[in-house]
Amino acid sequence: MPIYAPTLPPSPDLHLGQPPALVIMRFDLARLWRQKIGRFFGFTFVAILLVKVGWIYGKYLMDTNQSLRPLQQFAQAILTQGAEFQAGLLNPAMYLLWFLVALVGGGLVARDTLYRVRPLMYAHPVAPRDYLLAKLGFASLLPFAILLPFAILPWLMSLLLAGTSGPVWVTAPLRLLPAMAVSSLLMGAIAVGASSMAATPRAGIGWVLGLVLGAGTLASMIHGLTGIQAVEGLNPVLLAEAWPQLMTGVERPLVTWLPTLLGTAFHIGLWTFVAARRTRPSEAVI
Amino acid sequence: MINLDRASLRYGPILGLSPTTFELPDGGGITGLLGPNGAGKSSLLQLLSGLLPPSGGEVRVFGEAPFRNPAVLSRLGLVPEGDRLPTGLRGDRWLRMMGELSGLSGERLQAAMARAMDTVGMVERSRQTFARMSKGMRQRMRLAQALLHEPELLILDEPFNGLDPEARLTLMALLRSLAEQGTRILVSSHILSEIAQLTDRILLLFRGRLLAEGTVTEIRQLLDRHPVELRLTGEAQVLARWAVEQPELAAMRIEDGAVVISVRSPRDILPRLQQAVAEGSLPIRALDPLDLNLDAVFQYLTKDHA
Repeated sequence: MPIYAPTLPPSPDLHLGQPPALVIMRFDLARLWRQKIGRFFGFTFVAILLVKVGWIYGKYLMDTNQSLRPLQQFAQAILTQGAEFQAGLLNPAMYLLWFLVALVGGGLVARDTLYRVRPLMYAHPVAPRDYLLAKLGFASLLPFAILLPFAILPWLMSLLLAGTSGPVWVTAPLRLLPAMAVSSLLMGAIAVGASSMAATPRAGIGWVLGLVLGAGTLASMIHGLTGIQAVEGLNPVLLAEAWPQLMTGVERPLVTWLPTLLGTAFHIGLWTFVAARRTRPSEAVI
Repeated sequence: MINLDRASLRYGPILGLSPTTFELPDGGGITGLLGPNGAGKSSLLQLLSGLLPPSGGEVRVFGEAPFRNPAVLSRLGLVPEGDRLPTGLRGDRWLRMMGELSGLSGERLQAAMARAMDTVGMVERSRQTFARMSKGMRQRMRLAQALLHEPELLILDEPFNGLDPEARLTLMALLRSLAEQGTRILVSSHILSEIAQLTDRILLLFRGRLLAEGTVTEIRQLLDRHPVELRLTGEAQVLARWAVEQPELAAMRIEDGAVVISVRSPRDILPRLQQAVAEGSLPIRALDPLDLNLDAVFQYLTKDHA
């Protein structure tokens, strides 16, 4: 026979903690922090950043030191100047970032699918939008946080060395930060969308790389066949690079404003929609 | 605590659960959700744990619809089927996240974790990664995450799958102890003996339909088409003579040293049998009910509805 107790014990006070999206994001960040992949990429990005900052100092020396005049003319001939130089502050990091986003973001949702974590989460007071927000937020904030010192440190260095007449524009962060935000959101949306379609973290990495490289190849092929350059707006790698160029006013950007806007909106909208569909409670069957 | 009013669940064209109506009262106790694979047990649990809305009818848990309802979800704990957990992750870290998702934080979370791990006997080993835990340990950790916020309703889907006999008994003892403390437990299984060991209050599902609800005895009494079989061991001829005089007798067969009688109303015949034995007119050495157990009830019900 069932056993009935006279009364229930007092329930604990709930709803005192952080929002669920923040809890999940923090958990994912802590997991990444403990992995070796975080250390490898951390070292590589710091190395690139040091080169960038060192280059700002070198450029300042060449601009101000008369004995380096011949070297300055040579540097001007082979290196980017003006708006392209400003946009280029983020450039080498972008390629590496795509790999990092693929490696980390590919497993974000797929790992929860493999280990059937979502039914457990949804059986707690966690709404699907909290889950999606957490994954999308983490996958987007990660590249943004990595790019942030690339926009800020060279700018600070330039300000300290030469004030407003330094090699980095005073307004550079105002132009680069929005570009970084959009590019990061694009990376995050693609990573989460691709990861939501995979059953294992490894498959998720494959999905991200496949989508990014596949869309790029498709866009290049159509561009080559039709000669319409706007089709390159489908290429996520070019889109992520185009935003800093457009925001800093580069004369001949990789992709122009309209295709960049449409392409970015298309990718973010499509992959967020896919992720939202694939992480519904009905997909998280017991 | 739980009310279903013609609640059904469809997966596109497939009917996972036919319109079902039942009620579970407040207070502690264990109810077994029994049925073969594909009977609709998981569908019913998905409705109750708020993962899916009903396709028709109404589901109410604690008086409210559970689907995406934090007020309900914060009062129930779910232990889903399976034992997959992120292998490289430490048990206590995973438990902490689950506690935070339940709305616990700070010292309350620490206390809840300590209490839950103590309850499931994982205080010493919770800092291990899931890869280093046995199936039984992983199952206990899954139970611990469901207990963190002290739920009033605990839902377990096939919790004994893959557990060795010792771990199974440990888990059963744990569930009984939780029920005694006032938690209402709903546990699903397709293994009759597991449910029979744990409780005699069952919900029996078959092919998406709720066939029966109540204790085994209550359900058995309702099965009029299947008279209860009693084996009377003793002098067969004397026993047979006594049996044919009973108005409740539906069938009889004589075995070696025993008579097996089928009776429609055992409650009526048993007092007379008792009286005859007391008077010494009936030489019985043993009386065995053959089909008053859960196994027989399950077989009758599923055969009738097949």
